[in-house]
Amino acid sequence: MTLNQVLLLLATLAFAGGAVHAVSALRAERWHKSQWQWVLILAGFALQTGFLYFRGKEVGQCPMKSLPDILVFISWSMVLLYFLVGPAYRLSLLGVFTGPMVAGLLVLASVLPGAFGAYPAKAKIVALVELHVAVALVAYAAFAMAAVTGVMFLLQERLLKSHRIGQLFFQLPPIRELSKAILRLVVLGVLLLSVALGLTFALEPSTGVTSSKMVFAWSVWGLYAVIALLMWRHSVSPRRTAWLAVAGFSLPFVSLWIVS
Amino acid sequence: MSPLSPENEKRLLCLGLNYRTTPVEVRERIAFPEAHLPGALQQVRSLPGFEESVVLSTCNRVELYAVKEGVADKSGFDLLKAYLVEHFQLEDEHAEALSFYHLESEETARHLFRVVSGLDSMVLGETEIFGQVKQAYKTALESEATGKTLNKLFQQAFQVGKKVRNETSIQRGSTSVGSVAVDLCEKVFDLKQCRVMLVGAGEMSRTCAQSLMSRGAKSVIVSNRSYDRAVELANEMGGRALKFDDWEKVLHETDVIISSTSAPHFIIKPEMIEQVMKKRRWEPLFIIDIAVPRDVDPKVNEIEGVYLYDIDALQAIADEGRRERMRQLQACEQIIEEQLEKFGRSQQFERLSAGHDGRLETI
Repeated sequence: MTLNQVLLLLATLAFAGGAVHAVSALRAERWHKSQWQWVLILAGFALQTGFLYFRGKEVGQCPMKSLPDILVFISWSMVLLYFLVGPAYRLSLLGVFTGPMVAGLLVLASVLPGAFGAYPAKAKIVALVELHVAVALVAYAAFAMAAVTGVMFLLQERLLKSHRIGQLFFQLPPIRELSKAILRLVVLGVLLLSVALGLTFALEPSTGVTSSKMVFAWSVWGLYAVIALLMWRHSVSPRRTAWLAVAGFSLPFVSLWIVS
Repeated sequence: MSPLSPENEKRLLCLGLNYRTTPVEVRERIAFPEAHLPGALQQVRSLPGFEESVVLSTCNRVELYAVKEGVADKSGFDLLKAYLVEHFQLEDEHAEALSFYHLESEETARHLFRVVSGLDSMVLGETEIFGQVKQAYKTALESEATGKTLNKLFQQAFQVGKKVRNETSIQRGSTSVGSVAVDLCEKVFDLKQCRVMLVGAGEMSRTCAQSLMSRGAKSVIVSNRSYDRAVELANEMGGRALKFDDWEKVLHETDVIISSTSAPHFIIKPEMIEQVMKKRRWEPLFIIDIAVPRDVDPKVNEIEGVYLYDIDALQAIADEGRRERMRQLQACEQIIEEQLEKFGRSQQFERLSAGHDGRLETI
């Protein structure tokens, strides 16, 4: 096993372990005094960062040119956003829901055919392209986090409706806070994707940003701009916007697959 | 070997009564107003042999904690009881109705640890008592009524209280209909922005509304068939009254509806709430139906953004909360016993109050 593979495996185990620990702590009603999920998420993030660093050195550029690399970068960005968003909106339980998704993305990245191979030789690295890709992927990570928060909203809403008031109910944030968090994450994603797409206007046609990529990127931007508008104007119920945030993530996810 | 002879040992005493031992009409006669506490602390200290004192006086309990030098007999408790009778000028019949518990040394520490942790409270695991004990100790400290023994005891008690709170779920969950209503509302709204409307002015709806207002709800409107009663209740809660014919008109401006009319049929129906939700632009609506027979058609709960709880649903959650706290009781007692052992070692209780057969005893 190479160092990169070891780092990725350990990161996957950390996130999966964090999720398993969190679920078992919730079931045993010991969540409130459990610090392990923070430790495991921090360890997983450090290992992911290490992977991206060594992978970058290996390919001689930002490791964002193949689908497995992109999945790792998105999962890394999700954890970064979790650290930024979680404390701000008191959504600490987001870790329970983020962990499995991050672990799933890392497993997927590892099992894809030809994962983490060498990049084709490039004549030169264009900084604007690198920036465009990085910003776009962080935007996708924000949409992923909106989807995760959407799941939390739908779960909490269901518990409230069905009068199932237990440990999970008390640990999940209020639905209004979750609703606000979804809106903020969607708006953040739209803003970042706007910047990423704006950068393409300054690029030469020969820099590798193909028209198919642009079509998908603009489609994703359009979808989330509509979701943000619907949420902001209260045109549909928070439950439906949560569903939109969850289901909507399938478009950027599938588009990554297709364009890569 | 103890440096002090048994006759000169310092004895840790607690004379008290609470909601279990004494009815409120007797308790209220010996409740210390806050302003009188510094004087009372000094009066207890000035009793023969007494060196330290803390007075805890709440609506549910009056307890005197004291350190007295002397032999192991009941004279300390007799002095404390006589002090209370004299201080409150109780007549014989009231003095005889007082049913005190007499605790000494380890039992005093165990009792205080349980009190601070909310295990001796009427509502198991409630947190208010922690602050009340802290205030009582602070008053005693500022009045220079405490010394080494009580300082150590109370500081240890606060640590135990925190430990119990942090390491168990004794304070989680709601145990009354009012607190369930508050907890549920907090999972839907920011309570500070929450507007409450009472349709009907029954006792239970008043309790729920008061719980919400005490936790920071923004406003309350009271609508009742008897307008005078609505005005009375609205004044009591700092809200405004509304004629019963008008309550439907302001439904869309309300976040929480507490309904408790004596109507024999549903007065809140799905079609009415669907219109309200359109006007609210999908802002959530929480409805508490306390009436029997019910005021709200259960189909209302199927409308998006509407959360309906009737009295049975609220009561079931409160019952589960109480059961949950009872399940936690054993873990709490274990923590207290562990902490008591540590504290006992540091205080050498064995020396302080060993009985004839060598075990710790309670008078």
